[in-house]
Amino acid sequence: MSETEAADFLATVPFFHGRDDADLVELARALRRRTVSQGEILWRQGDVARELVVVVDGDLSMTLSVPGERAVEIGQAGPGDIVGEIGLLDGGEHTMTVQATQPATLLVFGRHDFNALLTRPDRSAFELKRRLALQLAGRLRNQLAQLGRTLGGEVSAADQDCGRPLVDLEPSGPPDSRYLSRMAVFHDLDPVALWGFLTSGSYAICPPGSTVLEEGTRSTACYLTINGAVEKVLIRGDRRVRVGLAGPGKAFGYEGLIDDRPSPVTAITRERTLLLVLTRGPFEQLFGREDTIARVFLDVLLRDLVSNLRLTLRPHARLLSSV
Amino acid sequence: MCRVLAYLGEPLPVRNLLFDPDNGLVAQSYSPQMMNTFLNLGGFGMQAWDPSSLRPDDPFTYRTTTLPSFDRNLRFLSAKVAPTCLVAHVRGVTYTEEAVVADTNLHPFRFPGARLVLAHNGHLRQFTRMRYSLVGHVRPELAERIEGTTDSEWIYALILSQLDDPYGLPETRELAEATAASLRILRQVRAAHGIDTSSPVNLCLSTGRSLVATRFSFDYGWYPPDDEFLETDLPFVSLWYALGGEYAERDGRWQMTAADVPRSVIIASEPLTRDHSSWLEVPEYSMLTAEFGSRGLEFETRDLDV
Repeated sequence: MSETEAADFLATVPFFHGRDDADLVELARALRRRTVSQGEILWRQGDVARELVVVVDGDLSMTLSVPGERAVEIGQAGPGDIVGEIGLLDGGEHTMTVQATQPATLLVFGRHDFNALLTRPDRSAFELKRRLALQLAGRLRNQLAQLGRTLGGEVSAADQDCGRPLVDLEPSGPPDSRYLSRMAVFHDLDPVALWGFLTSGSYAICPPGSTVLEEGTRSTACYLTINGAVEKVLIRGDRRVRVGLAGPGKAFGYEGLIDDRPSPVTAITRERTLLLVLTRGPFEQLFGREDTIARVFLDVLLRDLVSNLRLTLRPHARLLSSV
Repeated sequence: MCRVLAYLGEPLPVRNLLFDPDNGLVAQSYSPQMMNTFLNLGGFGMQAWDPSSLRPDDPFTYRTTTLPSFDRNLRFLSAKVAPTCLVAHVRGVTYTEEAVVADTNLHPFRFPGARLVLAHNGHLRQFTRMRYSLVGHVRPELAERIEGTTDSEWIYALILSQLDDPYGLPETRELAEATAASLRILRQVRAAHGIDTSSPVNLCLSTGRSLVATRFSFDYGWYPPDDEFLETDLPFVSLWYALGGEYAERDGRWQMTAADVPRSVIIASEPLTRDHSSWLEVPEYSMLTAEFGSRGLEFETRDLDV
């Protein structure tokens, strides 16, 4: 595959939509072409992530190792899909083993080339992060949907005995700035930018057991936990599994604001909880802007999505190991 | 902030848990993979039950305030002792003059004559304010036995006090109920003193025949702004388990082997290997119980709402 062919192919990949021809040719130069045979393993779960791949043709299978010396297929990837970005984004290990289920042609991005794209001092980096957020939100939805299928049954509303409706959110004043400045999520913001971010939304406090958001409904806000904890759960009939715990510095409710789809989880406070509430308007402003605050905000979202993708595999492994 | 380890299952050399895996408990004292801004250099302790030993109901006890990584006696002994049950702990203390590194503060705690041992990963914030309000909930003869300065030893005395016979062999169910009851008492006493800040209470309890463990925190996510533990405590204190046939090395990798009916379980603050694929995370706010039943090891996880 020549550089021109690679650039032409990249133009068809949704992840790279909107980049001009010169940019795509430059990207194509940074990529390495690799062919793999059927059954070949690209990497194993737990391997240090050094690259991601764009599938040109062929199919890949992603499997999760679970206790009992078993491996369970979690997803598949075909032409135009990107695989392996999670470990590149957080510097960690690959979350799943990836294997070719038929001969495949791939374009390989090295860690440094990928990071260089994300840190370019121009608007293309913002656009790439937004596309990445959209891609990761979709992947998280797929993982949660698969987990839901493992649980069986239909999506059901949160049990009203254990959750109270949204109206219990009471307005609250802002938290102590000394505390906020020590939260890792805000470390990259200078005091002025931090003030700008924190005044973009409002604060609300709610008691334990409050249902803030229900799976299948439209989220009206992105919530950032300042104090306390919120359980993100899937409820199927009388079965309920926690897929994440949004403690201090963790966000929830934003997936639907990114991709305009219903919430993939139900969110119920486990502790009394202080939330920063960014309604759709302020969220879209922060998401679409291209300044220091927006850069940090996009990074916070990406970190949260990557963390959620990893954490969602834990209850998944627990359920799979018990069936 | 301390690391705990508990094991119940087939006889297993202690070194397979402490030294051999690439993230064994001893490695977690100087190079923890989780909560790695805080080292666990305040001492080591273990209680290990070996059915083939003299007086098998009495656990083998080893405690030292020296660093376990340089403890050659521990290394030699751990190659020789193969218990069916073990609770071990490496202690993390603050790097301040208030910290007391002493034999009396080493986990697992076990009062003379008691069958129960306890190790704790966590801390009760503002414990000094509430400590003496616990006296009314602890049997006087047990309160007299508290020697150290830790909140953990008080939790131990509190749980023992909820048992029908503190020196008897409680059934797993009674031990689990006593643990939950003790957490409820702690919550009440905290409320009475207006203490409402994050206080993790990951416990491992054992009688040598069963295990009870908690992954729990009071008021998780609330901290005094100037708290020295704040950054360390922002994530929920971790706890993991591996369940299966036996813990063994295969192809150079330590893992729990598959089994239709589980025969062994390891519960630990973090997986004993850097590869987590044979480990499962204990859900937050949970209690685990494990005991030998008629059909092998009976293991249960339940939500802990106290």
